[in-house]
Amino acid sequence: MRQSGLLNDLIQALCCLPGVGPKSAQRMAFHLLQKDQRGGIQLAETLLKAIDQVGHCQQCRTLTEHEVCHLCASPSRDETILCIVETPADVWVVDQSAVFRGKFFVLHGRLSPLDGIGPDELGFDLLAQRLTLGLVKEIILATNATVEGEATAHFISEMARQRNIIATRIAHGVPMGGELEYIDSGTLAHAFNGRREL
Amino acid sequence: MSGRSIVWGLMTSHAVYSQTAFVLHTRKYRETSLLVDVFTCDYGIVTLVAKGVRKKNSKWVGVLQCFQPLEISFSGRSELKTLTGAALHGRSIELTGLVLYCGFYLNELLIYFLHKHDAHPEVFEDYRYCLVQLVTEDSVESVLRIFELALLENLGYGLQLENDAVTERPIDPNQQYDYLSDIGPVPTMSQGFSGKSLIALRKKILNDELVRKEAKQLMRQVIDFHLQGRELKSRALISQFIRQQSVTTA
Repeated sequence: MRQSGLLNDLIQALCCLPGVGPKSAQRMAFHLLQKDQRGGIQLAETLLKAIDQVGHCQQCRTLTEHEVCHLCASPSRDETILCIVETPADVWVVDQSAVFRGKFFVLHGRLSPLDGIGPDELGFDLLAQRLTLGLVKEIILATNATVEGEATAHFISEMARQRNIIATRIAHGVPMGGELEYIDSGTLAHAFNGRREL
Repeated sequence: MSGRSIVWGLMTSHAVYSQTAFVLHTRKYRETSLLVDVFTCDYGIVTLVAKGVRKKNSKWVGVLQCFQPLEISFSGRSELKTLTGAALHGRSIELTGLVLYCGFYLNELLIYFLHKHDAHPEVFEDYRYCLVQLVTEDSVESVLRIFELALLENLGYGLQLENDAVTERPIDPNQQYDYLSDIGPVPTMSQGFSGKSLIALRKKILNDELVRKEAKQLMRQVIDFHLQGRELKSRALISQFIRQQSVTTA
């Protein structure tokens, strides 16, 4: 079957997806062509449309097909609290957990000098503009618990301090339901350094 | 049977156990793995693949962070080794704020200046000491300068701070000098660097504000000479951060 040009192309194309190797790609291709052609057409059309229309929200830079995403446009969300995350996927996770009812800002990365990523690459100017507007009273830094995430959080907290905005960082350490016995030494050290008074 | 034992023998000879190391840089690799550049005491900089560490419940991901003293094990016969063990070794070093950016600077210097698989135990010791100093010392600048000096010295690019390169007379504290990166100090009538600063840098005593300022310019000039046009991104980050802070305090 490998000789068929178009089928081969389809399998190759499906391999661009994360977690999809040649074997899964083959299964998907045969499924779409043999069992679910209508699904295939819908997939192709939606994919084209999404790639054509989805861009970045003008306010928070998350992925959306509108100029301003539904989270930024929502009047029920608290405009005075801004949660800063690394990726649009993080927006989804935080939003779905329903713990946060404020607005978001997406950096699309983190400060990482060794990868050549500095403040200019992360839209800090747009964030600075937003903070200067004066609506935001608190920012929550929900960057990842890596040294790069920490470096990013610190830089932004300085930007906030300059404008008299409270900057907070999400806690990290022992996970809920976690037992100390099974936690790695690095995480445990962090949990001890970040202990709080009861 | 004998064939198998030979193969086994070869495999074990490529395994390294309990090596003291620091992570310099990590990047994502495939779905769940990381590529980790580690700086080890006896094997220099080695790139390891840490398989499956980005999965939930991975036991190493919290350990494989920059600036933490680690004890690692790895094996493999190709250029890319596989991480087989990692644990915190000694007290964790917590860099925050400006010193964290300085830590990135050290890592960037090491990655640019050291060749892979080139062992430099003395640089390793300096690096470890420098990280601890960054946390405890007030003057971050002198800690960095002393590390830079020692790094260049250990790699054979040491600064010539004894004599005037033209007349070979000892450095005069009251004379101004230009520093030619491949020759050494030459007397000048223009601004240049003061003899006093060059002597202080040789003695590694950087208490004076002016000395620190001149030492910074001199080291920057020499490092840039050796980097041959490559840019240090972390240096730009540090100056951007300091600029921002000075706006805050103003």
